Amino acid sequence: MKAASFDYARPRDLGEATRLLAQAAGAAKALAGGQSLGPMLNLRLARPALLVDIARLESLHAIADGGDHWLIGAGVTHARLEDASGALPGAEMLCHVAHGIAYRAVRNRGTVGGSLAHADPAADWPLALAALDATAEIAGPKFARRTPVAALMTGAFTTVLADDELIVSVAVPKASPQARWGYYKFCRKPGEFPDASAAVVLDPARKVARLYAGALDGPPQALPALAAAAAAGTVPSLDDIEAALAPVARGLDDIDRRLHAVAVQRALKQAIAR
Amino acid sequence: MTTIDLTVNGRSVTAAVEPRQHLADFLREHLRLTGTHLGCEHGVCGACTIEMDGMPARSCIAFAAACDGMSLRTIEGFDEDPLMAELREAFSAEHALQCGFCTPGMLVTAHDIVQRLPDADEKRIRLELAGNLCRCTGYAGIVNAIKRVLAARKAGRTASAAVAAPAAAPFVPFAAAASAPAAATPPAFARASAGEPGLAAAKAGWTELVESFVVRRPPAEVWRILGDLPMIAACLPGAELDEHDARNVKGRMRVKVGPIAAAFAGAATIERDEARMAGTVRGAGSDGATGSRTRGEVEYALQADGAGATRVAVTIRYSLQGALAQFSRSNVARDLARRLIGQFAANLDARLDPGRAAAPGPAAPGEGLDLGRLVWAWIKDRLARLFGRNV
Repeated sequence: MKAASFDYARPRDLGEATRLLAQAAGAAKALAGGQSLGPMLNLRLARPALLVDIARLESLHAIADGGDHWLIGAGVTHARLEDASGALPGAEMLCHVAHGIAYRAVRNRGTVGGSLAHADPAADWPLALAALDATAEIAGPKFARRTPVAALMTGAFTTVLADDELIVSVAVPKASPQARWGYYKFCRKPGEFPDASAAVVLDPARKVARLYAGALDGPPQALPALAAAAAAGTVPSLDDIEAALAPVARGLDDIDRRLHAVAVQRALKQAIAR
Repeated sequence: MTTIDLTVNGRSVTAAVEPRQHLADFLREHLRLTGTHLGCEHGVCGACTIEMDGMPARSCIAFAAACDGMSLRTIEGFDEDPLMAELREAFSAEHALQCGFCTPGMLVTAHDIVQRLPDADEKRIRLELAGNLCRCTGYAGIVNAIKRVLAARKAGRTASAAVAAPAAAPFVPFAAAASAPAAATPPAFARASAGEPGLAAAKAGWTELVESFVVRRPPAEVWRILGDLPMIAACLPGAELDEHDARNVKGRMRVKVGPIAAAFAGAATIERDEARMAGTVRGAGSDGATGSRTRGEVEYALQADGAGATRVAVTIRYSLQGALAQFSRSNVARDLARRLIGQFAANLDARLDPGRAAAPGPAAPGEGLDLGRLVWAWIKDRLARLFGRNV
């Protein structure tokens, strides 16, 4: 369980980082907190020729108030968000989600951007930030672009990021004081990746109702009809949720489908009761 | 080799390390700090937990080369720490260890719990300990030891006034503004669509996947094309044909899923039923790099789908063993197989009708499936057309 050989580079800034990634033409991998990539390297499932260490790029570490949104640097650790509880008005859900990720020793190193770029189907941030309608800012060697987090992931461990692109930050819209949210996941053991998960944001002031199911084969899936029903005050039945899941969550057996439906229902109940 | 300067247990250390060496090995092998234990070596068991810049972290999934400039504290560095002295005492009094293998990681985690969460109750202690595995104690002694230290510390300070949480106003229903969720998949000309999920019928340990796609060519033509093995290999991203006759095929399949790259080499036999326009491919392959093996079969059947088009129904059954399977908890292989079918359908269509090549172009032979790159290429192409220049 030792990683195969690789070269290591610690660029001084974002430009150098994307240039190094571009030069390697797909043979390099960006290393942020390394809490998912580290195990994959040790198991030799991943064998990049070069690791580009971006964990300590200062420009990725800021948490800034953008007026109607919070700007969270891609290199911000889960633990920092967990500890920011009470200090990020309108982004309480972020702190709650961060607290539930893996274990403190992992949260101290793992980053928001790393989790999004790694795109594990069962990970917390791709699900939570899709429900929160966050936007990822992405930098490449030549230009920068923005994409909704909901459209970032295209499959298991696969995103729209090019080999030489990095996530720089995520802009998370601030919830109004009337907003409600729910976040539920089924984990066999605290800190494990969930078997089923769901996230919902209901914000009357912004007329926003977003519901996503996670821990599927691929990216989290939106359930807009159920979200609208929940906004109108109705918690759908498990059978209705299963029916809504059927076209977007394929390949689930009966137990899996029920588990996902219950996760969705519990997230909705949390939101309405909160 | 990379040269690093760092502080370990208050002492300055300069060393040349191989980038691939993980931090725990560096501490144990270079510095002889063998109090840091290695259990799983992939970040699950917590035995290797140390303090990195004052915060607990797994040293088995950090790399020494990445710790240049950091300040580390291993269990040996806590000798003079007053809180750790209390914890050691409590661990002893409460029988919080038997073999002692998990203890260094447990103590570093316990130190963090007491410092960060002075009001933690038993439930919270257990939650915070979830990342450290112990196979001897059943955790009871460890939890009691931490409770004992917290209680002793609490007795020594004045109780903080409880802050009442503000009462939440009841939820007021509202009409949500219609919002179309962003599509994560690019539009493809030939769309793969779902069939009956047939998981219940799958053999034990095998995964079954039922998909179908439409090709805008009559069944007889599609049937002929599907018998053309080099053509099929060219449409399947990452596939390479080594040798083949009408019934047997040997080849390789490269897949890239995020940071995972695997190259399966294998062989398959093909049966085709001309009358039913249906076929079966059975095969097996292995990937030396990840130590993974797969066996599988693909059944396909053709049916007319309106005038001049054919629906190809595909059933894939496979089993996966080895490192890739251990890792594949979230059905990565199923997602991959589904995307491969979609990509195959798009590539087949683009080949049959080059003028219509609106879908992402076929991957270069041997490049492997990398949908991220394909999608990005497609977006870039769209942008270029929109702005009339190369972006």
